[in-house]
Amino acid sequence: MSSLLPLAAMADGSAGSVVGLLGGCLIDRQGQGHPAPLKMGEAVAVSDTIEVPAGGKLKLRMSDGSVISVASGTRVTVAAYQTDAGGQRQSAQLSLAAGLLRAVVAPVDHPSTFEVSTAVGTAAVRSTDWFIEAQPRATQVGVLSGSVVLSSTATGHSVTIPARWGARVEAGLDPVPARTWSPAEFQAVISRTDVP
Amino acid sequence: MLVGRGSGVIRWMVDRAMAVAFLAAALAGAADRAGAYTASGDRNFPATLILPQLAPGDEFYLNYNMLPLSGNGAGTKTRSTNFTAVYGKTITDNVGIFLEETYTGDAVEGSGTRWGWQNQDGSIRYLAVNNLDHEFVMSLGLERETGGTGATRVGASSSGATAPQLYFGKGMGDLDIGYLRPFAITTFSALSLADTAPRPDVVSNGFAVEYSIPYLQSKVRSFDLPEPFDHLTPMTEVLFTSPVGRSYGSRSTALIAPGVSYAGEGWEFAMEAQLPATRATGSGIGVTAQLHIALDFFFPDTIGKPLFPNP
Repeated sequence: MSSLLPLAAMADGSAGSVVGLLGGCLIDRQGQGHPAPLKMGEAVAVSDTIEVPAGGKLKLRMSDGSVISVASGTRVTVAAYQTDAGGQRQSAQLSLAAGLLRAVVAPVDHPSTFEVSTAVGTAAVRSTDWFIEAQPRATQVGVLSGSVVLSSTATGHSVTIPARWGARVEAGLDPVPARTWSPAEFQAVISRTDVP
Repeated sequence: MLVGRGSGVIRWMVDRAMAVAFLAAALAGAADRAGAYTASGDRNFPATLILPQLAPGDEFYLNYNMLPLSGNGAGTKTRSTNFTAVYGKTITDNVGIFLEETYTGDAVEGSGTRWGWQNQDGSIRYLAVNNLDHEFVMSLGLERETGGTGATRVGASSSGATAPQLYFGKGMGDLDIGYLRPFAITTFSALSLADTAPRPDVVSNGFAVEYSIPYLQSKVRSFDLPEPFDHLTPMTEVLFTSPVGRSYGSRSTALIAPGVSYAGEGWEFAMEAQLPATRATGSGIGVTAQLHIALDFFFPDTIGKPLFPNP
């Protein structure tokens, strides 16, 4: 399935749409508490919560051209996703309750934000290819290209993570200093988010 | 420069200050082995100034050290000062090389200070074990000093030497010991084998004990510590060197170096005192400082990555 869905397809104001799907992924529209099966090409809007069950995978193409790949066992909410008339991102916020996702964030030519929040931290980027995983009491980030700033919700302290590096933050603590990730560590998260 | 190598062994044979020159050579070579950060899991082993780097890396660092020496009359050294630059480059993810140059100033009783380059030095290092869960690192190294490439007036030897090396690093974070988890220890052992007499073979052993405040803040408990304290790692390094086999008059040395390292993002700055533990080691308190730049942090897509990264 192509991930090059025309931006015009999101002219309805949606935040993105499904361009890859494996397994019985669910979507809870606007937090209504009634998850329904997701379908290929279906739109995803702000305030929607997506659940990818064990064995499932999902790929979204967002309205700014960013691509988000979601691993099995993940629950993520699109908290905000604003683009301008040209389709360039102004601000984007995802809330990752559990699981792993990979974000290939589209570059923009003006200041903008792309943030993923978890229970223990927030990762903010401009344009990059990176991973974030929410674990029960920790969040870890790995960066393939670009850089990410990972902040602790509890202390407010942050670390900058360049390409080929990773870092984690545990509940109530400062972020662990960043370090280089091994190819095996990257391969592990790549395979988990690789949507065929 | 290899420990105990580059300080004019020929002259030592006729100079009663042989042990002093021996130590000066060791200090001149210290920066080569001084550690850039090495990470294992959530443990960052900070750069050390006396002991070796644990693993290969893409890095550049500048080291300064000064130690008063036990001058013994006219013509003997009373102080050794070294400025060292080291460039580390990874070949693969687990193998890297280091190139080093040291510029030495030897204060000589009665005749001012002699300046000159030490022998060229290079090494290859292999990260054999990196157990992330147990914060355990083991590396193997092979260091080569090229004889005759430095200035004899500052003790550079005409003889080269080759030194196999063994490194260990262990963080205590996997143990259930509360506020002691930020402790870590690193060790270093090497046997330097001279190319030709009268240069002695030298065995070197050392260790460093460190307590990482960043580890405390990020893995144990986050205290409301102000800058710069939340980025500090107090540490103490100890280095022993001793000739083996025929000594050619050289003597054993022991150096204790307590200090502190500050970790920024992609760089570290550290300072330590140098306390000679024996008369042969030195005659007063010296100092060493080091600025380390992590090239893989600042240039991850160019000079900061391995030449042949694993697929």
